[in-house]
Amino acid sequence: MKSIRTYLLVALLAIITLVTFVSLLHGYQSSISKAQQLFDQRLRNMAEIIAIANQDIQPRVDGTFNQSPTVFFQIWSSDLILLAHSNNAPETLSTDVNSQTNYDDINFNGYRWRTFSLKDDHLNRWIITGERADIRYNLAENVVMASIIPIVLAIPVAGLIIWVAIGLGLKPLTELTAQLNNKQADDLSPVMMQNTPEELTQLVATTNALLERLNAAFMREQQFSADAAHELRTPISALKVQLHNLKSAQQIDEKELQPLADGIERMGKVIEQILSLYRHSPDQAMLKQTEVDLCAIVQQVIARGYEQIAVKQQQISLTGVQHCRIKGNQFALETLLQNLITNANKFAPEGGEIQIDISQTNSMARLTIEDSGAGIPENQYERVFERFYRVNGDQHDSGTIGCGLGLAIVKHIVAFHGAHITLNRSTQLGGLKIVIDFPRRIEG
Amino acid sequence: MIKYRVRYYLLILFAIVNVPVLAAPVIEIEIRDHLFYPDEIEIPVNTKVKLLIINQDNTAEEFESYELNREKVIPGGSRGVVFIGPLQAGVYPFFGEFYPKTAQGKVIVK
Amino acid sequence: MLLNSVIIILREVLEAALIISVLSALSQKLHVSRKWLIIALLSGLIGAITYAINIKVVSMALDGVGQEVINASLHLLIYSFIVLLILSLKDQSNHRLMVFAMVSSVAIAVVREGSEIIVYIDGFISSPELLLPIIIGSAVGAGLGISIGVLFYYLIVNISLNRAVKVGLIILILIAGGMVSQAMQLLIQADFIISQQPLWDSSSLINERSLLGQLLYALIGYESTPAPIQFFCYAISLIITIILTTLTIRSYQQRPEL
Repeated sequence: MKSIRTYLLVALLAIITLVTFVSLLHGYQSSISKAQQLFDQRLRNMAEIIAIANQDIQPRVDGTFNQSPTVFFQIWSSDLILLAHSNNAPETLSTDVNSQTNYDDINFNGYRWRTFSLKDDHLNRWIITGERADIRYNLAENVVMASIIPIVLAIPVAGLIIWVAIGLGLKPLTELTAQLNNKQADDLSPVMMQNTPEELTQLVATTNALLERLNAAFMREQQFSADAAHELRTPISALKVQLHNLKSAQQIDEKELQPLADGIERMGKVIEQILSLYRHSPDQAMLKQTEVDLCAIVQQVIARGYEQIAVKQQQISLTGVQHCRIKGNQFALETLLQNLITNANKFAPEGGEIQIDISQTNSMARLTIEDSGAGIPENQYERVFERFYRVNGDQHDSGTIGCGLGLAIVKHIVAFHGAHITLNRSTQLGGLKIVIDFPRRIEG
Repeated sequence: MIKYRVRYYLLILFAIVNVPVLAAPVIEIEIRDHLFYPDEIEIPVNTKVKLLIINQDNTAEEFESYELNREKVIPGGSRGVVFIGPLQAGVYPFFGEFYPKTAQGKVIVK
Repeated sequence: MLLNSVIIILREVLEAALIISVLSALSQKLHVSRKWLIIALLSGLIGAITYAINIKVVSMALDGVGQEVINASLHLLIYSFIVLLILSLKDQSNHRLMVFAMVSSVAIAVVREGSEIIVYIDGFISSPELLLPIIIGSAVGAGLGISIGVLFYYLIVNISLNRAVKVGLIILILIAGGMVSQAMQLLIQADFIISQQPLWDSSSLINERSLLGQLLYALIGYESTPAPIQFFCYAISLIITIILTTLTIRSYQQRPEL
C-alpha cells in the first residue's frame, strides 16, 4: 500500500459506486417495468373506449380514421373481416387473436408495436390497439433517466469530497511526520502535538519515550568520552615520565625496559583509537558536515605520515583528479585516510609501493588505495571490520603495534558519510585494494 | 493394443468434432431499421438449423439469446452465421442486444 | 437502452478488470514493476481498435463464422497464457517469462473485450438522440466492473503473500476455466463441435443477465444452460490447471526466503 489516502479514496469510492449503482439498476428496472404496466393498461383502456364509442358491425365505406402516428387501432368482425381501422394501421390481422395472451409485439411499417386485442362480446368483434414500442419505451426511460443522471454525476463529486475529508482526517499524521522530519539531527526534544487523536496517542508517547532515552544515552556517552579522555591520558603521561626517570636512574638495563615502553606506547594508542571510535559512531550525528576537498585531505595526510613511509623506503603515489569536492567532516575524513595509509604503510614490505587514486562522476567520488603487501585472505574481508579483530591473529610480520581498531573506525566513518567500502585483491600490486565510493550531491 | 487405443481415441474425437453429413437447413433473418424480419421463426424439434443473419442497417447489431445460449455481433451491412439446435419443443426468444427494444424475435420449436 | 448498455459494458469490462486486478495485485505482492500493465493496456487497445475496424472482414470469413473462430482462439490463448503464468511462478527467477505471460493475457483480454465495446459505442455515435442513455449506461457498467476489480485488487494486496498467491491463483484458475468454456460455446455456435441439449437450466436460479450472473460469468464462466461438451472441457481444464498449480505452490512453498 503506497498511500493510505489513495487506498481509502479508491476503496471507498469503489464500494460507494458498487452499492449505489446496484440499487440504481434495481430502481431502474422496477421503474421501467411499472411504466410498461401503465402503458399496457392504457392500451387496454383505449381498446375498451373504442369498443363503446364505435358501433360498426359492417365494413366502413370510407374505411379509415385519422390517428396520431404512434398509435393505431383495428376493428375486426368475428369472422375476421376488417370493419374499421386507423389510417396508419395495417390492413391485415396484426396479431393472432386466438392466442393465450391479449398483448403481443409485432413488426410493422418499420417499427416495433405493442398490441392489445379485446374481444367485444357485445357486438361480437375484435378490437386491436397498438402503440409504437420505441416511443413508449423512450418515454419511460426519459422519466427514469432524469432521476439516474444526478446519481451517476454525484459519484465524482463524492470522490472529491472523500479526498478532502480523508486529507483532513490524516492531518495529525502529516503533522507528526512534518515535526519528526523538521527535527535537527541533534534535536532530541519530545514531539509536541495539539489534539493528538486516539490512534496516534500511543505512537507519540512511544516516540517521545524513545527520544528521551536516546537523549540520556547521548549525554552519558559524551560524558564518558570526556571523562575517559582525561582520566586515561593523564596516568599514561605520568607512566611515560616515570619510565623516563627509571631509565635515567641507570640501574636497569635499557633493553629490559623496552617491552615496558612498548606496552605503554601501545596502551596509549588503544586509548586514542577507542576515543576516536566513539567520536565517529554513525549515530553521532552532531559532527557537522561541510564541503571538503578530498584531494587536499589526502595530500595533507600523506605529508604528515611521510616520515614513516620514508623509513620503509616505500613509494607512494597520488593519481586522478586535482580537486574533488564532497560533503563530509574534515576531521573524520583525515582519521579515515590516516588509518588506511598507516595500514598500507604497515603491511607493504620495505621498498614496497602504495598507490592512491581519486576519480569522480557527477553522483559519486571514488577513492582507491592499493598496496603491495600480502593482502587479506578473502574469507576475512567481512571480519576485518569487527572491533579488535586482527588479520591472522595479528601474526603478520608487519612488526608494528596494532590494536585491531583501525578498520572498525574506518567502517564507522564510511557509514557516517553514507559511503560504501569494498575490499579486493590489487591486480597491479598484489596486496589489498580498498575502494570507497562517496556520494556527491554537488555538481561539477 | 496401442493401435486399438488410437482407434478408440479417434472415435471419441470424431464423436466430439462435428463432421457435417447432412447440411443443416438454412433460415434467413434480416435486420432492417433495428427490427428482425421475420421476427418469428419455426423450426422442427431436434434439428440443427443454420441461421443466416443479414444486417441491412449500417450500424452493428448483436444477435443474442440467453435461452439459446448464442451471442454474435453482426456488423452493419454484413452477415453472419449462427447455428442453433437440436432443440426441444418450446419458445426461445432472441433479441438484438444493441437495439433491444425494437429488435426482438423468437424461435418456436415444434 | 440503458440497461443493455450497462450489461454489455459490464460484461466486457468486468472480465478484463478481473484479470487485470488479480495480475497487478500479484505483481505488487511479488515486487514486479507494474510497467508491464501500461504496455499490455496500450497494445491491447491498439489490437482492439484493429479488430473493431476489421470486424466486417472477420465476420464474413470462414462462411460467416470467422468471428467465432477468432474469439475462441483468443479465449484459448488467454487460457494458455494464464497456465504459462502459473507455471512461471514456480521459477521466480524467470521474471521475463512471468511478465511476458502477464502482458500477453491482459493484452489479449483487452483486445477481445475492448473490440466489442468499440463496435457497440461506434453504432451510436451517429444517432445523438440515443447517445445519452448509452453513455450513462456505459458509465454505470464500467463503474460497476472497475469497482469490483478494485475491490478484488485490494483484497489480494492486503493479505499475506502466501494467501495472496493462493487467492490470486484460485481466481486465475477459475477465469482460465471460464475461457475454455466460452471458447467451446463459440465453437458449438460455429458448428465446429457437435451441439447437444444443455445439461441443465439454472436461469431461474441465477439469471445470466443479473449482476450476480455477470460476475459469476466473468469469474467462473457461469452459464445457465451449458452444453455437455462445454461443461466437460471446463472441468478438464480446471483439473489440469489445478494439478499444475498445486505443483507450483508446493515448489513455491519450499523456497525458504519467501
